[in-house]
Amino acid sequence: MNTYFEIFKSELTHLVRSPFKLVSQSLFVFALIYGCQNGLDLFNKQTKEISIIKNKNKESVQKMILQYEAIENGTQEKPRRDPTSPYWAIWNTPSHAFKYPSSMMVFSLGQSEQYGYYKRVTNWSSTFDSDLAEEIANPERLAIGTLDFNFVFTYLSPILIIILLFNIGGLERDLKFANLIYLQSISKRSLLFLRFLFYFVLVVLILFILLFFYALVADVFKNEFFNLISLFSSIILYLLFWFTAFYFINYYGRGSSDNAIKMISLWLALCIVIPGIVHQVTAIIYPVNYMTDYLDVSREQRGKIFDLSSDSLEVELVDEFPWLKNTLYAADSTINSSIVNRSVSGLVNILNKNVASKIETSNEDKNKFIKKLNIINPVTAFQNHINALASTDYYAYLHFRNHIQSIIDKKIRLILEDTWNKVLVSKDTYIEYVNKFQ
Amino acid sequence: MIDIIINEWRMFLRDKLFVFSTVFFTFSLLVVVFLGTIQNRKQQNYRIEAQEHVRNQWESLEAMNPHSAAHYGSYAFKPLSVLNSMDSGVNDLTGNVIKLEGHVQNEIVYSEVSQALSVSKFGKLKSSLILQYVIPLFLIFLAYGTLSSEKETQRIKLLVFQGVSITKLTFAKSLSIWIYGFLLLLITVVFQSLVNAIDLELSLRLMLIIVSYGFYYYIISSVATYFSATLKNNTSALSSILAIWIMWTIFLPKIWGNTVEKIHPLPSRQNFKSNMKEDRSKGIDGHNPRDKRREDLKEKILAEYGVDSLKNLPINFDGIVMQKDEEYGDKVWDKHFGSNYNILSKQKFLYQLSGFLNPFASLQSASMGFCGTDMIHHLDFLRKSEDYRRNLIKTLNDAHAYGGSKTGDWGWTVDNDFFKSVEGFTYVTPKIKEKIKYYFIDFSALLFWGIFITALIRFRINKNLVL
Repeated sequence: MNTYFEIFKSELTHLVRSPFKLVSQSLFVFALIYGCQNGLDLFNKQTKEISIIKNKNKESVQKMILQYEAIENGTQEKPRRDPTSPYWAIWNTPSHAFKYPSSMMVFSLGQSEQYGYYKRVTNWSSTFDSDLAEEIANPERLAIGTLDFNFVFTYLSPILIIILLFNIGGLERDLKFANLIYLQSISKRSLLFLRFLFYFVLVVLILFILLFFYALVADVFKNEFFNLISLFSSIILYLLFWFTAFYFINYYGRGSSDNAIKMISLWLALCIVIPGIVHQVTAIIYPVNYMTDYLDVSREQRGKIFDLSSDSLEVELVDEFPWLKNTLYAADSTINSSIVNRSVSGLVNILNKNVASKIETSNEDKNKFIKKLNIINPVTAFQNHINALASTDYYAYLHFRNHIQSIIDKKIRLILEDTWNKVLVSKDTYIEYVNKFQ
Repeated sequence: MIDIIINEWRMFLRDKLFVFSTVFFTFSLLVVVFLGTIQNRKQQNYRIEAQEHVRNQWESLEAMNPHSAAHYGSYAFKPLSVLNSMDSGVNDLTGNVIKLEGHVQNEIVYSEVSQALSVSKFGKLKSSLILQYVIPLFLIFLAYGTLSSEKETQRIKLLVFQGVSITKLTFAKSLSIWIYGFLLLLITVVFQSLVNAIDLELSLRLMLIIVSYGFYYYIISSVATYFSATLKNNTSALSSILAIWIMWTIFLPKIWGNTVEKIHPLPSRQNFKSNMKEDRSKGIDGHNPRDKRREDLKEKILAEYGVDSLKNLPINFDGIVMQKDEEYGDKVWDKHFGSNYNILSKQKFLYQLSGFLNPFASLQSASMGFCGTDMIHHLDFLRKSEDYRRNLIKTLNDAHAYGGSKTGDWGWTVDNDFFKSVEGFTYVTPKIKEKIKYYFIDFSALLFWGIFITALIRFRINKNLVL
């Protein structure tokens, strides 16, 4: 035990006497803080933006309620977009879909800057509408990449480890007194292991202190405790991976420079070259989708539906939504084109859902391919794992799109049900609608 | 000096690891250029198919009211320059499709990165990735020991006693390493030219790429040699130059890239949209007949044609209203999109300034710019697609106003020949001479570094420092 303590103590002295290593560590800590702060800023910004939208929605609901009261008192005539009809009442029911940021976002911005996180959902919406585009950002900054905790940890911590470790054992070889050390009562393996252990503990401590602090600031312990634990364990595993690789490099290395070259080459291969190859090959096999199928639906096929006569539309609607047969309007033998026209979004939604499913399937094929290559591309796999923990990966946004679709479906069902049952919307009915979409 | 360079190269070529690495790099670069070209062509073909598909739909339109056609609209698909195969710049991040329709200037959507899981933080393995990250690192590996080894073995004293100037020796060693990087660069560019149809414009762009990378390699090899000459041993030299490389390529670009966005913040989408909506509502709403401005316009047109009511007008007033509304909308878009573009330009300028601290930032900016894949080129595409949209909508509104229909006649249509006569959207990457002004600052920063490091070697390296 005493030997271990002595080794740790001498390693600490070695570290303190090396300004290069100390500066590197300070820079690393600075980058970690900067990264976490970036994450925290985005988390706060998104939370604030969502709250602004919600307040605006509340105001709009209040305005509508006043309008209902005025119509019901007879002090105001019904406007052209008659709010007593279910269609316009539901149209005026604020129903934003939000992707609430996870507090874990502090640790990984992931793909959050490539997608929108709120959307005003109407019965005409789809999951690929252009208003679902990402926040406005400088594309060159996005290309350079955002400095978040995930990036600093995944890409820069191996570099810090290289700086801390490249001359551990190597220096003794450079100065040609390595054998003198191993003559003493400790094996090369154990000595190197203990010296590595010191730096492992050091890096883990730095990371955990910062994680702990930002987890407190962002309320992660309260909201995402299990994901945080998972992040802690992933960090340990990832560091172990690099420490093990570097251990073998140092163990068999011929000196500090040789170690440094091998270590940095390994970093370059795992962090830049292999992900780059996977990215390029994926792009060749699965090129960018120009979304022409979706564009066709939003113009051509939608147009064809609008061209149909009211009776054909009615047949189509009853075909797609058989439960409409039990409504008041279905019992009528006369065609009411106003009711039918207000139901058309139901048919368009089916087209949208079909094409969205096709697009999502092709995206999933691409993802499966990327995941298949995780075995040779562990750094990307790890980065996506952290993104998943922070709900900022592709699947978190896929889930958001599904949520949007469920709101669209709900809206359409409500429009169809109440329009076909000839419901006259009052203030109370409107409030019920509002509650349904809160 | 030439003798020293030749001697250095003899030494390089005697090293099996060097020869093996050279073969490996050359092969990798050729494969990467080839794959990049394949990927580019494949994507370009998909884009052409998509653009043709949309054009065919437009040309097949049946008789339709021009305003309905304005709502039907068209799409512009962002084209790829040939040099996208070398450096894809911002193309993977930006959207690829923009809807061009009446009443609104849309934003470009459907980026590649939004269609799958995240893969690489440093982009696809294109030649730029190897030229920017891998080769400079290899140059560092070659250079870090070039003088420190001579010092460690005391051979340098022998050279000095033979009358070799330390400064010349340092320059010669640095140049011999630079030549190596430059040769790899030339191989890449020549192969790039061979596998793609290269015209004068592309040749000019490739020349500028060679100059930018050439400068950067000179800076890297000189800095590494300088450290090798001045620091006491191989390990110190290597660790110092690696630290600088990490700062330049990984640390500073991200820190500064994020900071410039904080210094010149962009509006949130929500604010951007609501501000435009507010400004827009102040103008004529083409669908709102109660608007005051509409009344003013009506009076003006009636007076112009000397009639007392809209039904007596020989033209369709609705078309005029809609065009006026578009023109008002254009002012609103110009104000808000213009403000965003202005902020983006300020951010870019500020980022480019960091080149004086970090030459890698200048290299990246120049590389994207000369490959036609940076933000400047992206904004150019957006502006041209918007110009097309305005022209398209004006053509449709003019047909509506002056094509023979009367006010309120929304059932009036134009035939298919009319739609065929409207030209489709085409985009040609701007000539580099039109855009070169944006990259002077990158060149200046690289030049500054070149001069700085040359001066450092010339005036700081001397016998006392090295021996």
